[in-house]
Amino acid sequence: MPLSRRTLIGSSLAAATAVAVRPAHAAANVLRIGISTSLNTLDPMMVTTGDEYIYANLVFNGLARMREDLVVEPDLAESWSFSDDLKRWTFRLRRGVKFHDGQEMVADDVVASFRRLLDPAGTSPVRSQYDMVESVSAPDAATVVFQLTIPYGGLADILTDRQVKIVPRSATAQLATQPIGTGPFKFVSYTAGDRLVLARHPGYFESGLPKVDGVELRIIPEMSVKIAALQAGDIEVLWDLPLEQVKTLSARPELRVDSVPTASWDGAILNNDIPPFNDKRVRQAFHLAVDKKEIVELTLFGQGVETISPIPPSHPFYAKDIVVPKADPAAARKLLAEAGHPNGIKLPIILPVGRPVRERLGVTLQQLAKAGGFDLQVQRLPYSSFNAEVSGKAPLYIDGFFARPTVDTSLFPFLRSRGSWNERLWHYSDEAVDRALDAARSSADPAVQKKNYIDMQAALVANPASFFAYSVNYACAYRKSVAGVKTHPMKWFDLRNATLG
Amino acid sequence: MRLAAFLLRRLVGLLGVLLGMSVLIFGIIHILPGNVAYSILGEFATPAAVAQLEAKLGLNDPLPVQYWRWLSAMLHGDLGMSIVMNRPAASLIGEALGRSALLAGLAFGLIAAGGISLGLYAATHRGRASDKVLTLAQFVLIAVPEFFWAILAVLVFASWLNLLPATGYAPFHAGVADWAAHLVLPVLVLSFGLVAHVSRLTRSSMLEVLDSRFVLAARARGLPERRVLWRHALPNALLPAITVLAIDAGLLIGGIVVVETVFAYPGLGRLLVYAIERHDLPLLQVGMMVVTAIYALANFVAELLYAALNPRIRVAGAAA
Repeated sequence: MPLSRRTLIGSSLAAATAVAVRPAHAAANVLRIGISTSLNTLDPMMVTTGDEYIYANLVFNGLARMREDLVVEPDLAESWSFSDDLKRWTFRLRRGVKFHDGQEMVADDVVASFRRLLDPAGTSPVRSQYDMVESVSAPDAATVVFQLTIPYGGLADILTDRQVKIVPRSATAQLATQPIGTGPFKFVSYTAGDRLVLARHPGYFESGLPKVDGVELRIIPEMSVKIAALQAGDIEVLWDLPLEQVKTLSARPELRVDSVPTASWDGAILNNDIPPFNDKRVRQAFHLAVDKKEIVELTLFGQGVETISPIPPSHPFYAKDIVVPKADPAAARKLLAEAGHPNGIKLPIILPVGRPVRERLGVTLQQLAKAGGFDLQVQRLPYSSFNAEVSGKAPLYIDGFFARPTVDTSLFPFLRSRGSWNERLWHYSDEAVDRALDAARSSADPAVQKKNYIDMQAALVANPASFFAYSVNYACAYRKSVAGVKTHPMKWFDLRNATLG
Repeated sequence: MRLAAFLLRRLVGLLGVLLGMSVLIFGIIHILPGNVAYSILGEFATPAAVAQLEAKLGLNDPLPVQYWRWLSAMLHGDLGMSIVMNRPAASLIGEALGRSALLAGLAFGLIAAGGISLGLYAATHRGRASDKVLTLAQFVLIAVPEFFWAILAVLVFASWLNLLPATGYAPFHAGVADWAAHLVLPVLVLSFGLVAHVSRLTRSSMLEVLDSRFVLAARARGLPERRVLWRHALPNALLPAITVLAIDAGLLIGGIVVVETVFAYPGLGRLLVYAIERHDLPLLQVGMMVVTAIYALANFVAELLYAALNPRIRVAGAAA
């Protein structure tokens, strides 16, 4: 090919400018993920936001882990067994696992990590989720025994959760600033408002993993800027894509968009303690007044699916054979009349400002419920004041919950009489639901659990606790150079096998 | 001696302003709705956990006790801890302030140089097409807010032309080119509106001076136009420009919050937004005090400069 002097000069000039203005960033083999907000904490026990969960699962390990298909498999534990009464669980630890500082992880570290979590004077936000644990002990360096106060079939499952990570017993004081774990990536630096930098842990216990040299979590609050950064190649992964962007970005040739079902749900919280929803007929009328399918279209742009309870339709325990009554506004008005509201009900619905999907859900409900005799007045309040002013007090408001790792933890605190979340949300009590929830958690047999959870959903259709609108999808966008990463329904990432082409 | 007395009085005033502001900041921050315990505990905030954490953080003490604890620690050089991040506020703010100062310093240089020279150009080309185009551009730049320019700049230069990085900050040691490339868009956007502001003001004050009698006299004496402009008109026209630049230093701090958020630039502005969102009061208090101090200092320096350029002020101030 003939090469004129002008093209030569021209192209070298162009190359020089390109190098000067747009240099290659950092090392080539580092995966950069765009997240939304600064991490509040580097202490894995204290993590409470999705952005933090990503970090906790890259730097630390638990005794067990959850795959993208929600199957639980051993992680730092090699295997486990339980006594017949389900009150004594024994975990055999993997040997030769090294912390990032080179020390070996032993049973004493596991015991110390759990004692720290369960310490009544400590600040763990999730301590109450483990209140069935009576004691944790280490008979030898490779064995950990959990003694429980009640029979509990799901212990290994909840040990996959985000806050129960194993940390070195000698270095808990530095977890806020220089955290040490056993995970595939080790902490390098964190600048609030900018980025969290992680590097490959060369001593990671699965040889050959991880495949990339490092991971950067880039904090970019503005969504349009984050999308521009993804398109320009400043980041390779965009975490938690807004659902209205799924179709638009899917059309881009350089991107891959993944939208997966999760167990996260939104709904209208109906307070069973005070009028009008203390009357079962009014709760039933609310469910008859609107079509959940229509809500999914209008609120989630189709990126989700209607549900009965926090168990998502993608889960094997979902009661797909139960017939849920179709939306019937006339029947709803009739029920309202029987309950003493012949002219319908007028009441406020409170929406959380700053949670756009939930705001959309509230407005959608306000529009759709009119036909069924519910005249809802929209009130907007900042989400930060919800906990203090709205939860458990207002008769009707919009809220939602992030997926929890097991069906038991997603249901028991919420729907069991006097469950911790039940008391803060809707004050619901139903004998059939209580019986099913108790039976399910005191068995380790999936078939028994399934039967009971289906009974629970049937009871919930007959006597609704609250309005569970839908299980919402979760989407991520990837540049096509990224391989070996699946979108995890729990919204964290497993990057052990990630590669950059 | 007069100058020393003048300086001393201004300095005492400055300290008074800071002390007053500390009360005001503390008060306003504690009126804000919300609660840090809820932001630390997130979706796991049970009433029992909230009560325990509040006690641990000392949030149940009476406000005057909390204020005194904060003020005396600050006077002892202890800026406290970010209670959400559990890290010393001083180092968090120090690092962020350094990066914001870089952004603000470059922007301020651009605003001063660009604003004054464009203003002079417009004044000396009064009524011509170039003056009219400049005037129109200035009004557009003043009227349209920064976040619009910021998002537009990202879309054009990063997404479409793929010339500059969309966001973030690259440390100097990672490469000069990369470091500089990350600064271009934030500095330009931060300067846009204020360049227009300063140049509008410089133009009108220059026009006023050019219409005054002493310029007429200088021209009548046959001095070259160049000398009339640079030696007679300019020093007088600059006085209001300096005041405006000092005020703009304050506006710059406001602009920095917006620009840092859109460009995901890890500076003081984003740290303040973070502290407000999470109700991290110790961090917010210290951050606000730093901003107040910067603003007060900028005004102090402007006054000194003003006095240096215009002896009448100094004399009047000393005589009063």
